[in-house]
Amino acid sequence: MRHRGREGIEEAIIRILRIAGILFFIVVVAFPFYWMVVSSFRSLQELLMNPDNLGLDIRTLDFTAYGEVLFEHGFQQYIFNSAYVAVLTVLLSLSLATLGGYAVTRLYFRGQAFMSLSILVIYMFPAIVLVIPLYVVFSWLGLRDSIHVLILVYLAQTLPVALYMLRSYFQNLPAEIEYAGLTDRCTRLGVIWRIVIPLSAPALTSVALYTFMIAWNEFLFSFLFLDSPEKFTLSRGVVQLAGSVHLSKQLVMAASVLVTVPIVVLFLFFERHLVRGLTAGAMEG
Amino acid sequence: MIVASLTMKSITKSFGKVSVLREVNIHVEDGTFCVLLGPSGCGKSTLLNIIAGLTPQDSGSVLLDGESVDHLAPRERDVAMVFQSYALYPHMTVAKNLGFGLRMRGVDREEIEHKVHDIARLLGIEELLERKPRELSGGQRQRIAMGRALVRQPRLFLLDEPLSNLDARLRANVRLELKQIHQQFRGTVVYVTHDQVEAMTLGDQIVVLHEGIVRQQGSPEAIYARPADRFVAAFLGTPEMNLYSGTIMIREGRAFFEGKGFSLNLGDTLMDHANEVIEMGVRPEDVRTTHGAGLGLQAEVEMVSNIGSEIYVYARIGRERITVKAPKDTPPKSGQTLFLTISRDALHLFHRGRRL
Repeated sequence: MRHRGREGIEEAIIRILRIAGILFFIVVVAFPFYWMVVSSFRSLQELLMNPDNLGLDIRTLDFTAYGEVLFEHGFQQYIFNSAYVAVLTVLLSLSLATLGGYAVTRLYFRGQAFMSLSILVIYMFPAIVLVIPLYVVFSWLGLRDSIHVLILVYLAQTLPVALYMLRSYFQNLPAEIEYAGLTDRCTRLGVIWRIVIPLSAPALTSVALYTFMIAWNEFLFSFLFLDSPEKFTLSRGVVQLAGSVHLSKQLVMAASVLVTVPIVVLFLFFERHLVRGLTAGAMEG
Repeated sequence: MIVASLTMKSITKSFGKVSVLREVNIHVEDGTFCVLLGPSGCGKSTLLNIIAGLTPQDSGSVLLDGESVDHLAPRERDVAMVFQSYALYPHMTVAKNLGFGLRMRGVDREEIEHKVHDIARLLGIEELLERKPRELSGGQRQRIAMGRALVRQPRLFLLDEPLSNLDARLRANVRLELKQIHQQFRGTVVYVTHDQVEAMTLGDQIVVLHEGIVRQQGSPEAIYARPADRFVAAFLGTPEMNLYSGTIMIREGRAFFEGKGFSLNLGDTLMDHANEVIEMGVRPEDVRTTHGAGLGLQAEVEMVSNIGSEIYVYARIGRERITVKAPKDTPPKSGQTLFLTISRDALHLFHRGRRL
């Protein structure tokens, strides 16, 4: 019976921890998010009258804040800029990391082990250490106020982790499937394109999401590098907005929603691809 | 179908400091089913990968129809490989798996479909064509793997332990079927296995590999009847050959094999090996049992094993053990004394590991 009592205590602790975890999540993440969404759907008048009203009335949803943010404060352009930067970063990062990750796992060349090891070292430099020298260098070169330079910087930031993730995934792919491809008349690139990439869909999805998030949310570099408002990315735009409009809290909230929602939607859409293993059925024993 | 002969000239390969293949020379005539037989780690799979071009050799040359293919990439060698793990493409249907090699060669769609269906009919897998590999059983996957090789009609088939993941019953069936398919297609096959039964039943030619060295090559019958060295003698045959070490003694103009606690008359052979230590082997089925005392070796029966089709007797001669295939009609009992006779022709004698 003592044993039973012990298990009971353990279960109780787990239950308490679970509730505590959920509460923590609600306080730290869900509530601010809810506050943000609710505030973005209020009119300025209502916000000023009832600043601490937490309820959301579906009948009085007010979309004017979104309209203003999108069409009067340039967020149409910012969304486009952010999407352009993020998508291009994802595409470049995926293609480079696929080729690089494949090279260090499957091909043999001088310095392969060193290359493989040094991938993560690059990631050890914190962005804040790099940002000032890069600022100076790109200023000299006259390349600073450019979206494409931003892409280059994001690429440098995301590529090490992308390479690292793909490398570990490739190492676990059975080499014999690739051998089969090679004897079936594929070239190396053919094997990568027709066999490795389809089989790595879960890893590629994770890498794409990760890269997209970094590029979409990044603030430090875009804050320092971009001067012309027509080149601003979303996070830069939000800060700009927050600094310029003092009263219209709902505008900042609407802008924040515009930053957050695409990421959430992307995650929900691709989540099921992340966990599924695709090699089931290929190998025996 | 274009069928190539295969020649390997002094193939050598090491991984780091480990020498895997040493001066391997093998010739396989076109249309021959050649089995590379050896225990695991003998280098046979490495040799297969070298033939396919997947692993480069350190030195030596691979020739198809007398022409070197060393400079050719795997895809240019026109060989098909069946892997132990099957290595099917998991993201493609069975039909796509079978047709992949043809598609890569630029064969047109209709012809691919036609050929895929022919092979599927031959292997009895027509109803599986639209399935994915993960929906198939082990035996079905194995069939797809073979079909993928057959459909391409390559110059050379390479099979790396293709049956080792099947259960025993299925393995025996597929083995037979493989033999039939080969008799029908007459392709050149190099088949790697550690299973001597597979080697004996499938091979037109067997190459025994051990520690990266070709120990013996020839027909299954020849290798079984006259193993070239002690390793081959011990490796082929179930139950194993009985092997004893002893000394040749000459007495009264006759040579005797003096083992541990027993002595065997070898007649007037081996007179020039007097006082040398040699090894003597005899297969369980070559030992005759008699009940008459005074004839041959005296043996005490320790255990009798009846496996249904055969009866094996485990007995003691001197301080050694011997396995004997016993007659089914009058099986001995444990504790009984038997007298064993062995004809001189049935003895395998090895000096320093090599056949005398």
